[in-house]
Amino acid sequence: MNRLFQRKTLDNGINLYICSTDKFKTVTVCAFIHQNLDKSTATKTALLPFVLKRGSLNFPSSRYISLYLEELYGADFGADIIKKGERQIIQFFIEMVNPRYTASQNKILDEGLMLFKDIILNPLTEGHAFKKDFVEQEKDVLKRNIEALFNDKFNYAIERCFQEMCKGEPFSVYKYGSVSDLPEIKSEDLYDFYKIVIKSRPMDIFVLGEVDEGQIYEKLNNLFSNERREEKIAGTVVVKEVEREKFVEEKQDVNQGKLSLGFRTGTRYGDEDFYALMVFNSIFGGGPHSKLFQNVREKEGLAYYAFSRLEKSKGLMLASCGIDFDNLEKTIDIVKKQVDDIKEGRISDYEFESSKKYLVNSLKEAEDSPAMIISLYLDGIINGIEESIQEIIEKIQTVTKEDVVKVAQKVKLDTIYFLNKR
Amino acid sequence: MNFMGENLFYRKFDNGLKAFVLPKKNFNKVYAVYSTRYGSIDNEFVVPTTGERLKVPEGIAHFLEHKMFEMPYGNVFDKYAELGTSSNAYTNYTNTTYLFSTTSTFEESMRLLLEFVETPYFTKESVEKEKGIITQELRMYEDDPEWQVMLNLLKALYHRHPVRDDIGGTVESIQNIDVYTLYKCYETFYHPSNMVIFVAGAVDADKVFEIIEERENKRGKLSQGEIKRIYPEEPYTVNKPRIDVKLSVSRPLFLMGFKDRDVGYDGIKLLRKEIVTNILLEVIFGKSSLTYEKLYEEGLIDDRFSFGYEGQKEYGFCTIGGETKDPEKLKDILVNSIKEAKEGGLKEGDFERVKKKYLGDYIQGFNSLEFIANSFVSYYHRNVNIFDYPEVLRRITFEEAKRRLNEFFDFDRMAISTVYPK
Repeated sequence: MNRLFQRKTLDNGINLYICSTDKFKTVTVCAFIHQNLDKSTATKTALLPFVLKRGSLNFPSSRYISLYLEELYGADFGADIIKKGERQIIQFFIEMVNPRYTASQNKILDEGLMLFKDIILNPLTEGHAFKKDFVEQEKDVLKRNIEALFNDKFNYAIERCFQEMCKGEPFSVYKYGSVSDLPEIKSEDLYDFYKIVIKSRPMDIFVLGEVDEGQIYEKLNNLFSNERREEKIAGTVVVKEVEREKFVEEKQDVNQGKLSLGFRTGTRYGDEDFYALMVFNSIFGGGPHSKLFQNVREKEGLAYYAFSRLEKSKGLMLASCGIDFDNLEKTIDIVKKQVDDIKEGRISDYEFESSKKYLVNSLKEAEDSPAMIISLYLDGIINGIEESIQEIIEKIQTVTKEDVVKVAQKVKLDTIYFLNKR
Repeated sequence: MNFMGENLFYRKFDNGLKAFVLPKKNFNKVYAVYSTRYGSIDNEFVVPTTGERLKVPEGIAHFLEHKMFEMPYGNVFDKYAELGTSSNAYTNYTNTTYLFSTTSTFEESMRLLLEFVETPYFTKESVEKEKGIITQELRMYEDDPEWQVMLNLLKALYHRHPVRDDIGGTVESIQNIDVYTLYKCYETFYHPSNMVIFVAGAVDADKVFEIIEERENKRGKLSQGEIKRIYPEEPYTVNKPRIDVKLSVSRPLFLMGFKDRDVGYDGIKLLRKEIVTNILLEVIFGKSSLTYEKLYEEGLIDDRFSFGYEGQKEYGFCTIGGETKDPEKLKDILVNSIKEAKEGGLKEGDFERVKKKYLGDYIQGFNSLEFIANSFVSYYHRNVNIFDYPEVLRRITFEEAKRRLNEFFDFDRMAISTVYPK
């Protein structure tokens, strides 16, 4: 399992990645449609998967789809939006039980794929428009989804930090777009927009499970034979410099303060020193071995959670923790000191080795999950590289402490965001 | 025992400890859990060694879980980090479970798991520091509206049973936790006869048993009588028909529950009751139901609407609900659909289809070592072998479901919890 995915191209230009393995009890099929993340189209794009999964020509309602899926031994089907860098990606997935483990014939795969294709390519229309009820109802659902972030203070504090930090850049656009765009979206325009997206945006299909490569290629080539004229889409802009550190405070009725610190790393997936940045992040806040966990939680008892994570495609790093309101300054000082320590090479052998091992372990674990395997490979494709998890691990193994210190010099604090009490 | 190409191995050791191994050779990872039948509801008990009856502060099982990671030589997280293994633990109402996952150092990680779970080491200083960390954990949940709506539902359903208390206790209750009480709880509940080990993944069963045996035999034959757990007498009625609170949320949250009076047993009978109840919930409220379709189209629910049944020996309840614009209207429709089902609306075709879905969901679960291990121990503590699930599911009859429908969904034992925006 070295290269993992076999890459093929369907006759109409859709990329197909196949991994045939009997490791899992299921066959997973994912489709990704890539779109630039842009304020002017984000909300419309976000609506598409939700409207499409409401019903299609041959499966005309959500209830009909659910009945069908239950008959297929509870196949999982879904559609959503994911954001990677300044790309907004429409995702469809279906996961079916390998027919070998049920009393049924080999029909699950064929019937599952038939639904999958119908949802993506044969929407339910009224004249030259999506079914109006679907659009109106899903506009309301999307509005609620956008507003629901407010209830989830943990993610709210992270998203708000990114928004403040990247003001004016496409990255500041939320993956579901904005509530204010919703009223003017009409069913007709959305359908026209859909036709453009489906025809011209890059599309990848992944298949992972016990399948015959030749057969699955034929099946998908027949199902996805729509006429296409693919257009290139722009890449993500990585901003490297920080003019001036920002501090943003917001007040709500909360019981715990949420602190987020956004950094520009100047390094993205695809750059040679990205693997050193992964080790840097692991040392800084990537797990219980990290400086953040050890100092903010274990030593000072200031927080229950304290971690950092990378945004691979945009070259950002975000640290976050939940603290008592009175400990804001003290915590900021400790977090800053951890970055400075790494920059100045104060990394113990324990920290360095544990950080690498932790990364390697989590990557190997990812190989045990269909969703993770596909997600990591997709990260590569977006950033112009195709590499197996094994290859990523090998590159991490060669990273030295000097490499980490070097890549750390590019890391700059941009924005501190604090969710405070009223 | 063989099921779907999986073999389960079992060994009982001289001191009463039991271990189960499910090898999955083509996985990279090994996931191991060491679990005790001791959770947040076990607040009052007789210490077997001394015969003294003890009532302990709420949240102590969870507190103890945190403190088990402390060893005379330092922190267990650090040791695991050196091994490149990730480790964690969780406490729920009825059990406390320690776990690790590794891709390269199974033997050392396994020995360390046995060592740290079998070595209580608490100091006054570290207990005091932990109070700060856990206070932040509790504060985090105070800001989590979904957790709050659930807690309040349990407070409405139960008069006295400790399932109505937060698993972590309260900021006030944990202040009363001290070294002495922690040791008493440990002695009582961390006895080999009250615990179980489950290991799944890339391992050889004999090797696992050998590592465990080597250590357990050195501990000698510790015998301990039955642990006497004392639970307050709980009336069949609900405590309060509803609890409403206001929090900082964008939209109201609604949760409805029924309190089970058919309790007092575990084993296969409990599993069967749980599956029947879940099938009923799925048929009445699932995505393929007319009720779901109506609620969704009226904008009263979205994809996050959920339901489930929690069945333990001492108690049982179901929850139904989610975010909604109109809790009262949602309640009326949910109540009506239960009435309709009871009045003959339950269809055998729906029942059979959902059974099929549940079998598929179960098979899909075998993709995930975490799912297998965590469900295994959760059922084990209820004297159920999770591998019996497909057979029990197969045997459930439509008549049985109808009977359960009428008995369980008794509106006199229904309670409601809501969170409204401030």
